[in-house]
Amino acid sequence: MSESAVSAPQSKQSFSLWQRVSGWVVNPWGRPRFLVLITWAYMVWAIVPVIIAVQFSFNDGRSRTVWQGFSTQWYWSNPDSIWNNAELRDALVHSLTLAAWDVLIAVPLGVTLALGLARWRSRGSGGANFLMLFPLVTPEIVMGVSLLLLFTQLPPFTHIHTGGLAQVLGHVTFSISYVVVIVRGRMFSIGREYEEAAADLGASPGVALWKVLLPLLMPAIVASAAIVFAISIDDFVISQWLSSGPSTTTVPMEIYDATRAAPTPATNAIATVMVIVTLTSVVAGFLVWRAFTRGQHGAKQSTMRDFAAFDV
Amino acid sequence: MAGGEVKLISLVKKFGEFTAVDGIDLEMPGGEFFSMLGPSGCGKTTTLRMIAGFEQPTEGEILLDGENMAYTPPHRRNVNTVFQSYALFPHMTVWDNVAFGLRRQKTPKHDVRSRVDEALGMVQMDRFAKRKPSQLSGGQQQRVALARALVLKPAVLLLDEPLGALDAKLRKQLQLELKALQQQVGITFIYVTHDQEEALTMSDRIAVMSDGRVEQVAPPQEVYEEPATTFVADFLGVSNLMTATAEGESDGRCLVKVGDFELHAGRGDVATKGETRIVIRPERVRLEPSDATGENFIPGMVERVVYLGNANQVITRLAHGETLQALVQNTGDELHYRQGDPVKVHLPSEALRVLTDTGVAPVDESAAAPVG
Repeated sequence: MSESAVSAPQSKQSFSLWQRVSGWVVNPWGRPRFLVLITWAYMVWAIVPVIIAVQFSFNDGRSRTVWQGFSTQWYWSNPDSIWNNAELRDALVHSLTLAAWDVLIAVPLGVTLALGLARWRSRGSGGANFLMLFPLVTPEIVMGVSLLLLFTQLPPFTHIHTGGLAQVLGHVTFSISYVVVIVRGRMFSIGREYEEAAADLGASPGVALWKVLLPLLMPAIVASAAIVFAISIDDFVISQWLSSGPSTTTVPMEIYDATRAAPTPATNAIATVMVIVTLTSVVAGFLVWRAFTRGQHGAKQSTMRDFAAFDV
Repeated sequence: MAGGEVKLISLVKKFGEFTAVDGIDLEMPGGEFFSMLGPSGCGKTTTLRMIAGFEQPTEGEILLDGENMAYTPPHRRNVNTVFQSYALFPHMTVWDNVAFGLRRQKTPKHDVRSRVDEALGMVQMDRFAKRKPSQLSGGQQQRVALARALVLKPAVLLLDEPLGALDAKLRKQLQLELKALQQQVGITFIYVTHDQEEALTMSDRIAVMSDGRVEQVAPPQEVYEEPATTFVADFLGVSNLMTATAEGESDGRCLVKVGDFELHAGRGDVATKGETRIVIRPERVRLEPSDATGENFIPGMVERVVYLGNANQVITRLAHGETLQALVQNTGDELHYRQGDPVKVHLPSEALRVLTDTGVAPVDESAAAPVG
């Protein structure tokens, strides 16, 4: 073989600015920079408004658009702050109570429904699966109005009427679908082999469920609980349609009312509190999930990535 | 040790229109290492799952020590399974996995401890007792799955292609260990595999299955040397199947015509007449110089020589058109025959078997090639 075939090519090609920029962005061997750019752009678009709202909750002055200095008055000292405003305080407590009840009722119901649907082999299962998705795809206004009609016109539900209980029932109705979808996905990926192994080793179906299937499902159950909590706190339409007055207002409703009346940064403050509560619930869900699955995944995988991808 | 006898009586399993198991009758005496061998889709795994209780038979009976258990749920049968994917509970340690079955039986705590330690020691996994399954290699997980099943002292152990996911060397090592274990423990092992070498190595008897039916049940030597049907002949090893016309007995052997050549087949039903097939195993085929003559000599040309390490595969095209494979052991001498050389192929009559054709089409070469 001759020398020239082995030596490096001699070209001194110079690249234009455009070529260099587009080469950096569209790089088939390196990180997908183009996609990363888009992702960051979206994150900025979504988060910057929240950050601005949080920032103005610490505003020293009544404005929600002009920065007048740092102060925590809207949380404690000012007579219109959250701490001093009974309405806002009650709304916060009511939101949290609703969300807690929602989780306590919807998660067990959703898990049992998911178990039943996954194991149901006969003819009705297709229909039931389809029906279960309805609350997820129905527009919230439609759900809100129909639930209102249900609780005010249709006996025996008229005994319940609008109010806290109706709100809980309304929230549970659409939360169950979320739980079922998440838990059922996990069940399909688990497969039947662990239960078969448990049965083979002498576990009755009940024991197999309790000792083998539920522990394996726990990550999905915890994740769905965190999701249900966050969704319930965030809910506006259903809560509003089913509320019966000032004692059953939730924080989103207060924020909505406040923006129409005389908004103060106290609105921002309570919104900030909601953001923190939601974040905390998701983080708590993640930590509980990680504790449950310690040692189950290979050490190489990033647990955060699994959780975020719902690969629970 | 008495017990562990399994009988399958006219077992049928249909999934809707599809018949997976089409009437199987098998008898497995206690203490035997019994294999079910066949290609994918032949019904062997379905049969095993029916014995374990994960599927209910459409028809037929499954007798364990005389008692029909076709309608007993799996958690009440005295059989245990080792799954292909091991199915170790990921949220429990190795120790807890093995103890699981004992705890279901409400065994007292110190008994649980001693039996679990004994079982783990038997499969050499005692050092790994505190680990979780995800921290073990495939072979280690396999051993734990074995311990978990054996600790319960079942009458029958069912194994569903347990070595399929392991590399070749580990597989061979575990095959020997499994066989030794079975002889030590003395219970019936029912082993499902598609790897004929595995079945031949380990089994006391093999049931070769195809399309939901049993083709032949016999000890490994008989299945290999005296295949009953074309399918069995072709599935186990290379068969060198050739079409021939049998013309009945002559001098204690069967006279067959292959193309223009007359051969004497010493094995099989020597009184056969009509269209049939003859088989000879490649290691029994002798290659002779092209000027040699003798009984059962057919002229041909070497088409290809494949080096296998311990042997050479010489693929010869015979004068009448069919291809024959000969296996020549590597003795250190160079092989006399190269591609393109003319050669005479000698099929010794004591190794040549005539089949009474069952009408089952032979599996095509690529599917019958040994796995791994």
